[in-house]
Amino acid sequence: MSDQQKETDKTLRDDTLAAVVVSGSIVTFFIVYWFFEIQSVRELLEMAYG
Amino acid sequence: MNSSSVSSRFTVLGPYPRTAVAVLLLGAALLFSFGGMRTSLYPELLSVFEWMETTWFGYVGKTWGGAFALVQGGHLVSLGVLGGSVLFSDGRLLGLFSSLPIRDVIDGAHKVFVGALIVVVATGVFMVCGVAVKVYYLPVFWYKMLTLTVGVLFAFFVRKPLLDRNIDQVNPWVVRLVAVSSVMVWFTVAATGRWIGFS
Repeated sequence: MSDQQKETDKTLRDDTLAAVVVSGSIVTFFIVYWFFEIQSVRELLEMAYG
Repeated sequence: MNSSSVSSRFTVLGPYPRTAVAVLLLGAALLFSFGGMRTSLYPELLSVFEWMETTWFGYVGKTWGGAFALVQGGHLVSLGVLGGSVLFSDGRLLGLFSSLPIRDVIDGAHKVFVGALIVVVATGVFMVCGVAVKVYYLPVFWYKMLTLTVGVLFAFFVRKPLLDRNIDQVNPWVVRLVAVSSVMVWFTVAATGRWIGFS
């Protein structure tokens, strides 16, 4: 494998890892946020209508 | 060729500089939010927002409703165009519009995205000047600024560098993850924008 190929692979790994870290953080934030948002609405509905 | 180009990747941030910067920025954002810096900086920004209302933009926005509405129309249309480019491009990454060449879709949509983003930001600044002190006290305004910042950084420093190469080289699950998170972020920008209108 040439040095240029190694360099390309390393850049690809870096870009992929950065994408996984940032995208994973965004998706995780959304899942946690909407879990608590839905839980809050359910509790409010239970208080209102039993 | 010697090993100089390979060793050039070993920067002060290590062999994976983009990942290191992403992790550092995420850590800095958490520290800023929960470390007390946000609450100490917030009162000092009030004078900036008060000044914005005294500018020419603020004067026109406050006194001429028609101008404000016209600019807001441009803001909403450009946000729609931006959302369309995001849905088109990310939809293609998720397997929709499969008859269209993926490279053409990504590159074409990105050009539209950049143009729409410039108009969104320019018209947004004008609109904020008209109601600066009001939005200063609205938490949802700050949510929008946060998601807009995340969206812009994500689009230019994470998504674009990854997709600028041959897509076939990239793990397809990573491509799908990037597309889903991109749609999530820009939907949130649009939703928080409308939320400001209802606050």
